[in-house]
Amino acid sequence: MSVSTESRRGTGYVAALRQKLPSSVLDESWQTAEQATITVTREALPEAVETLYYGHNGWMSVVVGSDERLLNGHFAVYYVLSMEGSEKSYVVVRALVPPDTMEFPSVTPKVPAAVWGEREVRDMFGLRPVGLPDERRLVLPDDWPDDLYPLRKDAMDYRLRPEVTTETETYKFINAAKSETTVVPLGPLHITSDEPGHFRLFVDGEDIIDADYRLFYVHRGMEKLAETRMGYNDVTFLADRICGICGFTHSVAYASSVENALGINVPPRAATIRTILLEVERLHSHLLNLGLACHFVGFDTGFMHFFRVREKSMELAELLTGSRKTYALNLIGGVRRDILAEQNLRTRQLIGELRGEVTRLLDILLSTPNMRQRLEGIGRLEKQVARDYSPVGPTVRGSGHHRDVRIDHPYAGYGSIPVGQHVMDGCDVLSRTLIRSQEFFDSITIIEHCLDNAPPGPVLVEGFTYTPHRFALGYTEAPRGEDIHWSMLGDNQKLYRWRCRAASYNNWPSLRYMLRGNTVSDAPIIVASIDPCYSCTDRVTVVDVRKRDATVIPYKEMERYCRERTNSPLK
Amino acid sequence: MPGFGQLALAIGQAAALLLLAPLASGFCRVLRAKIHTRTGPGFLQDYRDILKLLKRQEVVPKGAGIIFRAMPFILMATLLLIAMALPVLTLASPLDAIGNVFTFICLLGLVRFFFSLSGIDSGNTFAGIGASREATMGALMEPVILLALFVAALLAGSTSLGQISTSFRSLSGGSIAAEIAVLFAVAFAVFVEMGKVPYDMAEAEQELQDGPLTEYSGPGLALLKWCVGLRQVVMATILIGVFLPYGAAASASFETLLWAALAFVAKLVCVFLIVGVIENSVARNRFFLTSRSTWAGFGIATLALVFYLVGL
Repeated sequence: MSVSTESRRGTGYVAALRQKLPSSVLDESWQTAEQATITVTREALPEAVETLYYGHNGWMSVVVGSDERLLNGHFAVYYVLSMEGSEKSYVVVRALVPPDTMEFPSVTPKVPAAVWGEREVRDMFGLRPVGLPDERRLVLPDDWPDDLYPLRKDAMDYRLRPEVTTETETYKFINAAKSETTVVPLGPLHITSDEPGHFRLFVDGEDIIDADYRLFYVHRGMEKLAETRMGYNDVTFLADRICGICGFTHSVAYASSVENALGINVPPRAATIRTILLEVERLHSHLLNLGLACHFVGFDTGFMHFFRVREKSMELAELLTGSRKTYALNLIGGVRRDILAEQNLRTRQLIGELRGEVTRLLDILLSTPNMRQRLEGIGRLEKQVARDYSPVGPTVRGSGHHRDVRIDHPYAGYGSIPVGQHVMDGCDVLSRTLIRSQEFFDSITIIEHCLDNAPPGPVLVEGFTYTPHRFALGYTEAPRGEDIHWSMLGDNQKLYRWRCRAASYNNWPSLRYMLRGNTVSDAPIIVASIDPCYSCTDRVTVVDVRKRDATVIPYKEMERYCRERTNSPLK
Repeated sequence: MPGFGQLALAIGQAAALLLLAPLASGFCRVLRAKIHTRTGPGFLQDYRDILKLLKRQEVVPKGAGIIFRAMPFILMATLLLIAMALPVLTLASPLDAIGNVFTFICLLGLVRFFFSLSGIDSGNTFAGIGASREATMGALMEPVILLALFVAALLAGSTSLGQISTSFRSLSGGSIAAEIAVLFAVAFAVFVEMGKVPYDMAEAEQELQDGPLTEYSGPGLALLKWCVGLRQVVMATILIGVFLPYGAAASASFETLLWAALAFVAKLVCVFLIVGVIENSVARNRFFLTSRSTWAGFGIATLALVFYLVGL
């Protein structure tokens, strides 16, 4: 697609990269005015990503692996960076990996945020990131055969269920503590979330010295399914099912990735309807999380009341989409249903009731005697750790970073709407909870604004044709943070490659640092404070203890830190 | 040796408390559901739960030993013994020989000891942490009870629970302020010992998966659930039987006992009502900060001693 040169945003980053690595930048292409893909030589990959990440205020959004042997004879890896410096744009660093060696230099030693992405590429494509500090499996189960890489084009049918190779769990949990610790297993079913995730807390008395976790017990192989079985518009409905809470943001992210790739302009009314529903989903999700925060500290009265009020947000979803979840509304090019006058009225009435009830509930919650005591100073995510691991949503905003896709990279109707941004420096569970409660009221204001100013017109464009092998990003700010989808169209009415990354995927890796130094009794509330979504990530494990410049912290130092808990080696 | 009548009264009141315990915990559940604005189960749900569990298969963890198996029985027996010795309907204790401050404190300690020991014995990490919390709570709360009961004994001039209750009934201790302070200290201790939020440290469901109860199942769990209910009733009884003995029978005739029983039930409902409202309007304390609030209890008990000494 041709993007006029003058409308482009992010040219400064490309120029800087060309200047820093003059002979390594092989190609530059623009998918939209704010999405550039730069192909660099394999050897220059880590430095290119590091330059953008730490040199130009880039944040790691997702790492995409792709089997492009049918297109150009190589595998490809794409490191998607959300650039949040002076220009707001996405820059994707791409490198080709030859199929004979299947090796490329790992970025993780320079940019820790890449660790999960590289482990996943290793699992799914068999590509070897050389120098990757943590080579355990991330996505594939322990009993999966060694030489079967599901996402390779010639690997397997999506229905294949290979024989298990071992009956015992072989996953090694990492424990950075050298002194004696007791292992507290939480899982495979998390106690109070009642979701599958296996945590190991390494504790001394009641203090958590270190933590490790294994997730992806319910990996559903959606990407493979979409690539081999479903048409473009079917995938919007599959994307809805990625998450039971924030499904709509996924289908918007997917639909807009295809729209971006093909240059389709969604009608303004459709964009506004998408915005309204994205915010309805945020109301629902934040109420759920505030309720759970009460539950985890033993304040079940609050929990029940938040759940009672949450019912109204589900009624809203039913009113606007026809199902109690905001499902099945998106199509590529727009939405399937308009908002009619009486629905408009009823929506206003419902959000009015919600505003009143939640205001009262939050008053009660924050004046409950020991609520604040339970949340303050707990589960600290230090600012620098947050910078290194690129968490998203309220998690990163609670640690003092200004990141919100709605503001940085406006999508759907957000370009013309005033969106408030709430950032707190507390770095603790309290900050994250307060940010959620403030965002709740913002969402109500945004919905009212959209209802007042919805432009007339059609809600769907049709009649476009799909051009093979175009690709682009689609992104949304889900209640838990940035969701990002990378789609490449195929030549058989199916996607050639679809990579969807949920918000929790980026938040899990930093959780280990939040758990350290707290007590066992605070573990559930800390885990809940990132509002984790097991099934939609469904992808945690750990990242080794290392600094940005990749010097490994010796165990002795870690041990000292565990004992004295001062001068963190992470800083 | 106690006479036949006293023995019958002792056994009768223990049996009554035992049968009443699931009703009391069922009452808590109904109250909790009301505050949560949900429908919730009825008053009799805990009877149904216990009956159902009694029919279920029991699974014992591999490493668990005799203590784990014996704990529910020891707990039940000890609690029943306490229930027999407490002045429930009468001012005097039916079994004066064991109805004194020292036996009472020792028996309470025994309950706690076996409860936490079984947690360690089960081999489960959560149960272990719950057990160590239970022991810590003991270290924090026992001084409060000890001091409060000793001041009460000083006021009554006797360590017999019956004598203490008589003295509190007639306010003959000579120091009203001390008696009120003792009452508050005991009420606080009783609330903590009932194991309700914010002090349900050992069993915190969301944190420790029910602590020492984690590994129990079937009849063992049924018995334990019953014991947890009974312990709450017994703790409430010590407050209303010994320190608020209004309505208790001075002589053991049928008619006075009947009125005493009515008064007792009314007082019990009040206690559970107050406890239920507190329990449902706060979050659980952070375990490490518990000692800060339990000091308040000790402070009140100390105050009682000071009041007694100056004879206020």
